[in-house]
Amino acid sequence: MVDGISFIAVSLGAAFLLGMLRDSWRFAAYGVSLATLAFLTWNAFCWTKGFAVDGLVPIEIFTAGTPPPFAVNLRLGLTESALLLLVHITALLSAIYLRDTLMQQGRRAMSVLLVLCMALSGIILTRDLFNLFVFVELTVIASGGLILLSQDKRALGAGFKYLIVSQVMSILLLIGIFFAYQATGTINIDGMAEQSALLFKGGFLAFFLMFMAVVLELKPFPANGWALDVYESAHPAFSAIISAAVGAASLIALDKLLLIAGPDWLMLTSIIGLITFIAANLFGLAQENDRRLLGYSSVGQIGLVMLVLGQKDILGDNYLFVVGGILLAHAVAKAGLFWISGLVQGRELKDWAALRQRPLLLFAFASFIALLMGLPPFPGFYAKWELVHALAAADRLWLLGLMLFASLLEAGYLFRWFGYVIKRDLPEQPLACPWHKRTVVMLALVAAWALAYIWGELSPHSNLLHLLPLLFALAFLVLEPLPAWLKNLLAIGGMVVWFLLSYPGYDPLQLIYGGIILIGGSIIFLASFYGSAQRRLGFYPSAMLMYAGLSLLIVAEDSFNFFAAWELLTVGSYFLILRGKESEPHALSYILFSLGGAFLILAGFALAGLGAGQIPLARLADLSGQTSGELAGWVFLLLAIGFLTKTAAVGLHIWLPGAHAEAETDVSPMVSGILLKAGLFGLTMLLMTMGKQQLYGVELTHVMLWIGAISALVGNLLAVFQEDAKRLLAYSSIGQMGYAVFGLAMMNHLGWMMALMFVINHYIYKSMLFLSVGGVAKRTGTRLMYQMGGLITLMPLSFIAVLIGIIAVSGVPPLSGFGGRWIFYNAIMSDEYRLPLVIIFLAGPIAFLYLFRLIHTIFLGQLKDEHRKLKEAPFWIVLPQMIFVAFLMIFALVPGLALRHVDVYIGQFFAGGPSLNWEGLTITSQFGQWAPIPIMIIIGVIFMTLFLWLLFVNRRAQKVKQFNIVFAAERPYRPETTHFAWNFFAPYRKALGFLTQPLVTRFWETLTDLLHQLADLLRRFYTGNGQTYAVHLLLFVVAVYLLQKGMM
Amino acid sequence: MIRRAFVLLLLLALGAIFLDLLLGFVPATELNETARYYAERSAADLGTANITTAIIVTYRGLDTLGEVTVLFLTAAIVGLVLSWGRRSAEGPQRQLLPTGELLTTGKNLLVPLILLLGVYVFVNGHLTPGGGFQGGAILASGILLMLLTDPMKRFSHGMISAVESFSGLVFVGLGLLGVALAGGFLDNRLLPIGTVGELFSAGVIPIIYSFIGLKVGAEFSSMLVNLSETEDS
Amino acid sequence: MAQIAMATGFILILIGLYGALTNRNLLRMIIGFTIAHSGVNLVLVAVGYLSGRTAPILDSAVPMAEAAERIIDPLPQALVLTAIVIGVGVTALMLAYAYRIYVTKGTLDIGKCRELKW
Repeated sequence: MVDGISFIAVSLGAAFLLGMLRDSWRFAAYGVSLATLAFLTWNAFCWTKGFAVDGLVPIEIFTAGTPPPFAVNLRLGLTESALLLLVHITALLSAIYLRDTLMQQGRRAMSVLLVLCMALSGIILTRDLFNLFVFVELTVIASGGLILLSQDKRALGAGFKYLIVSQVMSILLLIGIFFAYQATGTINIDGMAEQSALLFKGGFLAFFLMFMAVVLELKPFPANGWALDVYESAHPAFSAIISAAVGAASLIALDKLLLIAGPDWLMLTSIIGLITFIAANLFGLAQENDRRLLGYSSVGQIGLVMLVLGQKDILGDNYLFVVGGILLAHAVAKAGLFWISGLVQGRELKDWAALRQRPLLLFAFASFIALLMGLPPFPGFYAKWELVHALAAADRLWLLGLMLFASLLEAGYLFRWFGYVIKRDLPEQPLACPWHKRTVVMLALVAAWALAYIWGELSPHSNLLHLLPLLFALAFLVLEPLPAWLKNLLAIGGMVVWFLLSYPGYDPLQLIYGGIILIGGSIIFLASFYGSAQRRLGFYPSAMLMYAGLSLLIVAEDSFNFFAAWELLTVGSYFLILRGKESEPHALSYILFSLGGAFLILAGFALAGLGAGQIPLARLADLSGQTSGELAGWVFLLLAIGFLTKTAAVGLHIWLPGAHAEAETDVSPMVSGILLKAGLFGLTMLLMTMGKQQLYGVELTHVMLWIGAISALVGNLLAVFQEDAKRLLAYSSIGQMGYAVFGLAMMNHLGWMMALMFVINHYIYKSMLFLSVGGVAKRTGTRLMYQMGGLITLMPLSFIAVLIGIIAVSGVPPLSGFGGRWIFYNAIMSDEYRLPLVIIFLAGPIAFLYLFRLIHTIFLGQLKDEHRKLKEAPFWIVLPQMIFVAFLMIFALVPGLALRHVDVYIGQFFAGGPSLNWEGLTITSQFGQWAPIPIMIIIGVIFMTLFLWLLFVNRRAQKVKQFNIVFAAERPYRPETTHFAWNFFAPYRKALGFLTQPLVTRFWETLTDLLHQLADLLRRFYTGNGQTYAVHLLLFVVAVYLLQKGMM
Repeated sequence: MIRRAFVLLLLLALGAIFLDLLLGFVPATELNETARYYAERSAADLGTANITTAIIVTYRGLDTLGEVTVLFLTAAIVGLVLSWGRRSAEGPQRQLLPTGELLTTGKNLLVPLILLLGVYVFVNGHLTPGGGFQGGAILASGILLMLLTDPMKRFSHGMISAVESFSGLVFVGLGLLGVALAGGFLDNRLLPIGTVGELFSAGVIPIIYSFIGLKVGAEFSSMLVNLSETEDS
Repeated sequence: MAQIAMATGFILILIGLYGALTNRNLLRMIIGFTIAHSGVNLVLVAVGYLSGRTAPILDSAVPMAEAAERIIDPLPQALVLTAIVIGVGVTALMLAYAYRIYVTKGTLDIGKCRELKW
């Protein structure tokens, strides 16, 4: 650890030393530069460690042997040392990255880089205003020099624009500093903070000018056109420095100024930050150029940090934790992304698909995106959690809402980009990947995960990286080189072991969900043995991440862990869904709906926290007692909508069909049979704790009942008109989830029983159907039903699975679906919601229509010529189906096995209501009884009788040749129109088609289109003319002046 | 036209802000605490007669270091920018009209005097108005005169650069010696402060200011030389 | 007295900025900023001026003991020097840019540097 002054003296000395070297000694010059930066990085690291771990007290550094305010003084504390570390490490890595450029440009370029580091260190350390000005100007000039390093000729124009703007800033800053000095008699920041009454006595102008100059350095909207041009054209290694290091230093300068000002200026800072965050993310939507997009994202993130700086008054002790989390996450991610952009040859977002050639780089890319979005376990996640809670506690809900909205916009372009990388064609130019550049990116990756760990440790809640399931999922990243069958075995083993370990701790409700997730998940994994000759890169980490999230979700006891698990499972399932061939747009809409829902949940928990950083979930129950007004209702509403996005309730459902249908064969059952249960679990948790809630007199559970009923109806109707078998199943899930939501919303014992019955049943038959249809699709090469037919003889096992499946789904006796229906009918008989009840009754027969098609069109009828040589679906895909068949049978015979305990458990919540009576093998309710075994026997007998009679009659049936149903004079342009099974339910479509108008899809599409068009229109405001940018800047200054004048 | 009107309007608004500032300005009648400290203590503590110099070189030496660095940086960048695309120094040179007798003789007479004045100004920076920056600028004006009389004259870049860097290193080195031997970075009391008003007084201030003078002279010269050499490309 | 200098300074700033923002020629813009900088420096010096006092240099006219009553504020004087030098640095950098732009594009029109936008 060397004296703090070394951060200025050593780099400056080295820069001067470089001047003494001969022009041709480039290696020596490069060596000196790297050694200097490495030394200072080490020094900064030691100081940071000293302050953070060994508890050093911040030190004051006096210069000139004279105390402040008469001489310049510096201060080195934890914040300063951490930022110094950030600056120097970014510069060091960029210097390594820039090796070739620096060697070519020679010692002058290296000394400019060193001086930039020194200037940034000065900004970070100094406690003197004028000194701050000097270092800011040094930063400007050094940046101006480094921008010239770019090969891009356009950088010249960008650099000049930057200089124009800096000139205006320096004029404002100088005048502000001098008038502030004149008013207070000191030029020391701390001194001025003490004298701030004097400063503001004659008005706020002196401070205003300084404040504006420093804010302008942070590239606020609209005065930031120059910054985007610089980001787009500068060398990416330098953009990394601007984004990470210069941004961080400018933020601390603003923080110092805010020390002088009173609370009035905090809100102004937040508003400027918020506007910047929203505008940058909106404009980002219309970007296709990668570096400009990164520029927009940088500007936006710095705006977010500005927003947080302005919330200093409410963040209290968490201030550094939150600012640091967001700032460091931004810095590491942005530097990493800029460095990667130097490896990618093309400048369009889709050219980044080249990253697929290097899995490690791809992982780095994914980590950086997650880091930027603040997904768990990265620091932004912890920071956002605290921030949102503080905002909710301080009742700054508008700020909270707009911030989350802008984050969603950011997610829009970041995840679209991620989709491009995973799904688009490889570009012609490969990656330019020299080892030193790759090493730099990898170091950023290490930093990202290290930060994740550190923030987890600092978090007042829990460190997510200590959670065993998450670690297990992450371990699969390391195991990627292993063959898939081995990974599959490990995955199954891990899940079963985790179930056995957790089993004793589960209550009956958790047991049902846990069983479905862990044991059910393992069964689906059996199907993954098929095709396990390849390595299936990325599949296991994603799937295990989802399962980790799910298994953590059901045992979460407080809001923090619940939300973290929710985000984990969302991210994992997103990666899984994205793996499908055509799933790019669907995965995007899935993640956007999910994140939107997650933000609502976050806001709901924050509101419910009432100032606390987290609450035990059980405390949700006390909320309506503790608070007056509508707060409990709002919390309920936010959480419920959040969970309903996951169950794809109507209105929020448009992501589901594509996501489930386009997913891979073994992924569809995972995301349908298992993932949808997360939403139901959330609703169960919510209703169990909060019960019935009212908002402005509206009974919210009643609304939910309606949503459930309409989802059931619309989902089923939409399924009827599908030609694609997997889409049909996907739509049917919307309907099924509607039933379950309906059941839960009834808020009585039987309703809940029915919902749980649906949870189990839906898992079994939907997984089974997706597997069998997937198997058929694998063999036939199509998912369109009218292209199949007559497969019963070729694929008998798949046929049996589908047959059993649809019997179960449709709820006819004897299978468990009937049990579900039976409980359901009992439940609705005992309650008084007549109209939704009619709707949900109606949905029942509609389900028959689409289920019938499944068996009729795929397995019966005529075999297609091209299908004559098909074999049964692969063994590993059939095996789980057969297990499910067995399950269904058992569950149909002895439903009490699972439900009995749940019944008792639920009974605690609905004392006195109608319930079921489990005696022996017969279940009785007040309306009747259900005896599964006799029913099974009776149905079996009827079935066998009919079957034998059919066999007997079948002797006389005619063999029919292939025929066509084209009418005379009809000219079929599209071959499928001549197939009898195409548009099978056309008459119904005529009658009921108006109900299936894609109104919701159109609504969301219009919304996104509008946003995109708005972005495209508004960004034209950045005309590219440097003078116009300066005009924007002046306009901004005048506008803020008027705003502040109005506010004060 | 609309643009001009708009700019005018904005600047009027900015002018209104300035006017606000101007009207709110109350000229001080007494020195404030900081200025009083300098007035009363700088001679006694640091031994300088020129209080401004005490502030520049010692009290706010860090600013000055930054300031010197600005020039260093600019010189480096200008050198970097202008060196690209410049043809080799041996390339065909443009024929210029011969410099007049008057100018040449004047130069021969004046340049030594200018250089001497420059040195005088920075050596006496702690006593009289002026100092390293002013002296350095005067030195560079001598170089400018030489360039004007003989545009094709070539100066050694290595030499200029070495003077510049060496002076910078001395500055930083003396600053660091202050940490080791005196009260802190850039403390001038490494040497005895002597009697106020004498040439050898005020500790290392004259030394630092002289090197600043050399450095500034070298940096300005380097920029001038670099700019003049672009002529022939 | 100080106010007059200050008002002049502010007017110079506005004139300089007007020139810099309405002329499309890079060199004229740079000159505009130079004018604005002179204005700033004038304002800064005026801030530290105390009427009826002398320069902050101790000599026979200003003995050490009376310094506090006889001299003007020395700090702005020192700071202005720094500001001037920094202004020179930025101007030189802008000139270097203008030169490069002229060499690569063959024009000094800022309106022609618009490849980057939106």
